[in-house]
Amino acid sequence: MTGAVRLTDRPLSVPAAARALAGPGLGGVVLFVGRVRPDRTAAGRVVALDYEADRRRAVRRLEEIAREARSRFGAGRVVLWHRVGRVPVDAPSVIVGAAAGHRAPAFAAARFLIEELKRSVPLWKATRARPARPRRPRPRRRTARSAG
Amino acid sequence: MPRSTRDAGRPPGEVRIELFATARAAAGVRELRLEVPGRGLTARAFVAVLGARWPTLAPILRHSRLVRGDEYLEGGRPRIRPGDRVSVHPPYGGG
Repeated sequence: MTGAVRLTDRPLSVPAAARALAGPGLGGVVLFVGRVRPDRTAAGRVVALDYEADRRRAVRRLEEIAREARSRFGAGRVVLWHRVGRVPVDAPSVIVGAAAGHRAPAFAAARFLIEELKRSVPLWKATRARPARPRRPRPRRRTARSAG
Repeated sequence: MPRSTRDAGRPPGEVRIELFATARAAAGVRELRLEVPGRGLTARAFVAVLGARWPTLAPILRHSRLVRGDEYLEGGRPRIRPGDRVSVHPPYGGG
């Protein structure tokens, strides 16, 4: 796995990704961070996502995508990092970034990285949700009439 | 030698099937083994046999892809043969 590509069960660091994209002449830097949302689902409130990968094939495909982003868009540096295992709400599950001389190729490369990752990398997620507590019925307010 | 001639006398044998995500959950195991004829099965036939043998997998297989090595196996051309190892990839969900 190169520095540009990571598939890890450890937390992803946004500052580390920004540092990995720094370089001479790389004036346009685009960083995309995908974080786990606390969505409501039929099973309850999402508390985490469990990610799994077909690891060998996933790493190979991530490396292909990183290479293609460099050659096709002229990105000087890219990052394509994905976390696997349990990722809690608000934590990043994915970071992609591209650095180029100017903003247009940096945006194009970053867009390509995330779209290709979602389309073609063997990664899956399963939702971990906390069921909502059943509501206790409110005590009926006694009215003047019923109070007699 | 053409494959069909070469395969004519081959004995049947097992294919190992690695399951991921919803496919693994549906089958309840990480790996399955399926005996196939010596001449192999097309990917389409392989999926049909697999779904008939493990009915809980059938709905997942309809939306999944088979992978052998670096190759996605689809339709009637590639044959899955004894000794092969294939993976079942449900639709991807990274990001």
